[in-house]
Amino acid sequence: MKLSRRCFLSFGIGAAAGITLSPLPWKLTDDISIWTQMWPWTPVPPDGAYTYENTVCTLCPGGCGITVRKVDERAVQIAGMEEHPVNKGGTCILGNSGLQLLYGPFRVEAPMKRTGERGEGRWKRISWKEALSEVSSKLNQIRASGNPHQVAAVSGSKEGTVARLINRFMTVYGSPNFMTEPSIQDSYEAMLYLMQGATGSAGFDFENADYILSFGSGIIEGWGAPVRMFLANSNWRTKGTVVQVDSRLSNTAAKMDRWISIEPGTEAALAMGISHVIIKENLYNKGFIKEASEGFDQYKKLVLDAYSPARVSDVAGIDPSVIEEVARAFAASKHPIAICGRGKGDVPGNIHEFMAVHALNALVGNINSKGGVWTLPKNEYIRWPHPIMDKVASLGMQQERVDGAGSKDYPYVQSLLNRFPKKINEGSAYPIEALLVYNSNPLYSMPDTKAVQAAFDKIPFIVSFSSYMDETAKNADLILPNHTYLERYEDVPTPNGLQYPILSLAKPVVKPQLNTMHTGDVIIKLAKCMGNSISGAFGWKDYKGCLKQTLGSRWNQLYKKVYDVDSGFAPNKWVFETPSGKFEFVSSLVKNADENNIGIPHYYPTALEGDEKKYPLIMVPYGSMKRATGYVGSTPFMLKAVSDETLVKNDVLVQINPKTAQNLGLSQGESATLTTPVGEAQVKVNFNEGIRPGMIATPTGLGHTGYDEYMGNGKGVNANQVIGTVEDPLTGLNMAWGIRAKLTRS
Amino acid sequence: MKEGQHDQHIKKYGMVIDLDKCTGCGACMVACMQENNIPFQKDETDKMLSITWLRVFKLDNGKPYPDTDICYLPRPCMHCSGIGEHGHSPCVSVCPATATDYSMETGIVSQIYTRCFGCRYCMAACPYHVRHFNWWDPVWPSGMERSLNPNVSVRMRGVVEKCNFCFQRYQIAKEKAFTEGRTEIEEHEYQPACVEACPANAITFGDLLNPKHKVYKLKQDPRAFRLLEKLHTNPKVYYLSSREWVREAGDNYIENEKVDVEPKKH
Amino acid sequence: MSASQEKAKEVSAKASDGGAGIVFIFFIVGLVVSLLVGWVLFPKVLYCQKEQPFDFNHALHNEMVLDGCQSCHFFRNDGTYSGAPKLNQCIECHTDVQGITKDEEIFVNEYVRNNREVPWLVYSRQPDCVFFSHAAHVLAGEMQCKTCHGHIGNSTSLPVYEYNIITGYSRNIWGHNISGIKKNTWDRMKMDDCAECHRENNVKQYSVQTKKGPCFVCHK
Repeated sequence: MKLSRRCFLSFGIGAAAGITLSPLPWKLTDDISIWTQMWPWTPVPPDGAYTYENTVCTLCPGGCGITVRKVDERAVQIAGMEEHPVNKGGTCILGNSGLQLLYGPFRVEAPMKRTGERGEGRWKRISWKEALSEVSSKLNQIRASGNPHQVAAVSGSKEGTVARLINRFMTVYGSPNFMTEPSIQDSYEAMLYLMQGATGSAGFDFENADYILSFGSGIIEGWGAPVRMFLANSNWRTKGTVVQVDSRLSNTAAKMDRWISIEPGTEAALAMGISHVIIKENLYNKGFIKEASEGFDQYKKLVLDAYSPARVSDVAGIDPSVIEEVARAFAASKHPIAICGRGKGDVPGNIHEFMAVHALNALVGNINSKGGVWTLPKNEYIRWPHPIMDKVASLGMQQERVDGAGSKDYPYVQSLLNRFPKKINEGSAYPIEALLVYNSNPLYSMPDTKAVQAAFDKIPFIVSFSSYMDETAKNADLILPNHTYLERYEDVPTPNGLQYPILSLAKPVVKPQLNTMHTGDVIIKLAKCMGNSISGAFGWKDYKGCLKQTLGSRWNQLYKKVYDVDSGFAPNKWVFETPSGKFEFVSSLVKNADENNIGIPHYYPTALEGDEKKYPLIMVPYGSMKRATGYVGSTPFMLKAVSDETLVKNDVLVQINPKTAQNLGLSQGESATLTTPVGEAQVKVNFNEGIRPGMIATPTGLGHTGYDEYMGNGKGVNANQVIGTVEDPLTGLNMAWGIRAKLTRS
Repeated sequence: MKEGQHDQHIKKYGMVIDLDKCTGCGACMVACMQENNIPFQKDETDKMLSITWLRVFKLDNGKPYPDTDICYLPRPCMHCSGIGEHGHSPCVSVCPATATDYSMETGIVSQIYTRCFGCRYCMAACPYHVRHFNWWDPVWPSGMERSLNPNVSVRMRGVVEKCNFCFQRYQIAKEKAFTEGRTEIEEHEYQPACVEACPANAITFGDLLNPKHKVYKLKQDPRAFRLLEKLHTNPKVYYLSSREWVREAGDNYIENEKVDVEPKKH
Repeated sequence: MSASQEKAKEVSAKASDGGAGIVFIFFIVGLVVSLLVGWVLFPKVLYCQKEQPFDFNHALHNEMVLDGCQSCHFFRNDGTYSGAPKLNQCIECHTDVQGITKDEEIFVNEYVRNNREVPWLVYSRQPDCVFFSHAAHVLAGEMQCKTCHGHIGNSTSLPVYEYNIITGYSRNIWGHNISGIKKNTWDRMKMDDCAECHRENNVKQYSVQTKKGPCFVCHK
């Protein structure tokens, strides 16, 4: 048999016919198309039973209740807790993307010990036992040398049981150097003390206020408890007037009823000018002034002599008629409130500006009354017995603090973290041998990063309790990672600016994902490692036991409902704890109050760092809800939401008025060098008509060097690299709202 | 489907966004990303490539300091119903793959990722730029895939995606209703993630045809406007602003542009 | 054209006429071989088998529980469907080895004692792009389990689990008949099968594009 070409062709045709008549091509086509529609490497999130758990967000001091949606054991979404009185179901951008902070790869997985050079990023995993013995032996060694005061601690806040445990540890150990991250709360507290004799925090009855005069406060940019402020603002859109005094068109300025553009740093002058009109036109609350105030005559004289609208106009660059108009509207409103503290409130500010602004509240008598400014007592739910201190501790505690807070030079404040780097670098105080850092990231969040880094370099032993590989953790010798906020218990005291006391309880919604430990437990365990004199003050089995005992009968309610409002609270109307028992326009708590008006509200120009000739521009940092500036960084989702007018690739854009830019020969989008007396940064120029000529605005919350690229490592510039500090003469707090700068083509 | 309009089960889900209340904080954007498993990359600054179903835009009045004013405008998908409510939205009309569809039952424009073959015709057709193309396969940094929402499927490279008013939440609400013996859902049971998250309560969502729903009244507010009315796309997203320049910016005519047809009333 | 050339052509034509049978045989051989490949070999190559962790007797359980299928496969309060039961549910009865089967022993020793979920292979698992609501079908549509799942509830042992090596889908989606022909409603679970039923029952025919059901009623 001869196989011809035809035979093969015939076979082929037969085979083709057969295949066509079989399911093979049709099924294969279907399967392949399915395969291309759903690549096997595209993740498929497993489904399961849905549960919802309530807790409190502790990513900022805003104190929002949140509801976490879970699918089996996975947390898949965070929403605001509808019933929580602070946020009523809303969340901010950071709170909403919090799961990225739980599951992100930039977390510290276990206790770590540095093996390479500091900041090099070489670590060795160690056990918790090793980690605790490492810290305790180091601290014991310092204590044995008789210098317990040479250990310092930095905490994100002074409130809450964990911060108090650290403070208590420091006390029985023998160090007065417990410092906290500064904010406008410090200035508000100092101001309330000076003018009202109060030892508490400021609350604002915004829900009942109808006229808000804001001196640069970022009402919708993170000032106070952010979500609560958003809600208050939404109400004001229909009933209420908000006037924003700002040197640039901030988001708040743009969204409020009225924006008054002001020469930067002259807010106190404007407040005094408004006082002038109110007093001159007899618009003030005579009842309050007569019955409840002291020193009015002296204040009146100062105001009438030196702050006429015409004179204020020269200083602040505001038309006198505008000053008069605002003063009349403020005084005519039923419940007006004047507030201050710039932007998000990260920089404490000038105390005399706070006094000048608060004097307005006094003039209209809107203090401790409906729709006014209230004084909240200190959080009193933590009632632990006074610890017994041994001799070493007592001697250590008698030492003056490194930062000088509470000393005769700075009697009105409890912590001055801004002075800490300076004192260390100067070497004028005693050296610091060890530093503990909790819920704080000073190497990123403090002004003049270079100086902070230099100071940290001088401290031989740094322990970080951070959950994340942030800048400070990266520069530590030992990291004892805390659970993240969704994995731990924590008490949450009244959020900033709320007018009534509320206590909330954060509860773990997922099991600890990594080999981390609650810092509260670490402190208790550490105390137990360190011998009787210290462990005696820590009688609790563990942190949860401590918390349960501290909260006592409130635990059950808090556990069930997450929050507990002190419904019996009412402010003491027009009752003050000053020596005179009255509101003091001239603070009797300040010695020689008359000398340069140091104890009286007044305005003086801020001496910004830098020579005007060398640095012709003024640089101000500006914050946004979209960029976290606290101890946690911005999440990947947040960075995705950051505008391309802020960040392009890895370049930060600084805002500048087109006219100013043209004078400098700079064009839109051009690369430039921003130089200030503190540092230098490569930036890009972005024209913005909302910026006052002669000024530059640099976004904060960028330029991380810790975390990873998804969290903004290497993206933009940290504004703290180019801004310094200016010490308030009365309180010692930082009041630098800007710095002199120059911008040159690079 | 004309007779469908008389069906009492017919809904027209829509949104009213109060720009006076909106602060531009971006919480809605992030809530949307978390709900809808939107991927992220190391660099998201090229906004033409960055996938955001809901994006907050910044408008300005173009005046010099200190008369400058800005306004934020969150932009989800407009879910256009087209002229005469026939559901011929710009994207649905052009899709050659039947991957995008308009439902007369809910008025929602859907996108089926497995059906889409990535021709991007819809992206060209959409006047609001709400559609995004997946140029890359989504990759989550190790561990982060644990927060993915099982109710939304993860998209693969080569397909287009966009806002669907969190339709999965409608489905979940429906399931609950069925379990309780109901066939209809309440207004509060179906709210997209952005509405739920907004800390300023600036976004309202509901059935535009239902007089009991809040959006019904709000859309008749004198401050209300829609984007690019002149194109007659008939969007279901309404905006409220008390500022005239903002309302005017909603229909951004070119200078001296001739308008031959008066925008129809829908 | 010359005579010799013409002759040659004739001869060759003849020869080819004479070989037509062989050519036809080749056609048949090709046809048969490819039909065998397509109908017999192809399904064997396309589908791989996987073993369930251990065998399960639905019929036996069905007799012992009070509420039929719902006893283990139930609706949660939020309307979602539990699907294959979790270990927690099984433990209610199976804290200790019951009966004498080897499967029971494996279950208790490997899963109950170690508190490990059983990695069941789910025959009717739809791909991730599908949204399927049991509540809509069973509660609102009053359909029966067997319409889609067949008589699995009366089976005494689990069928072999097969999956498609290209798509990874369970074989039950396409159905066991490789030609895709079905006799019963539960034989196939492809989109066309869903659509068929939706059309017959006039379910939500609201799509502008297809005039049928809108795509995302079932897709996500």
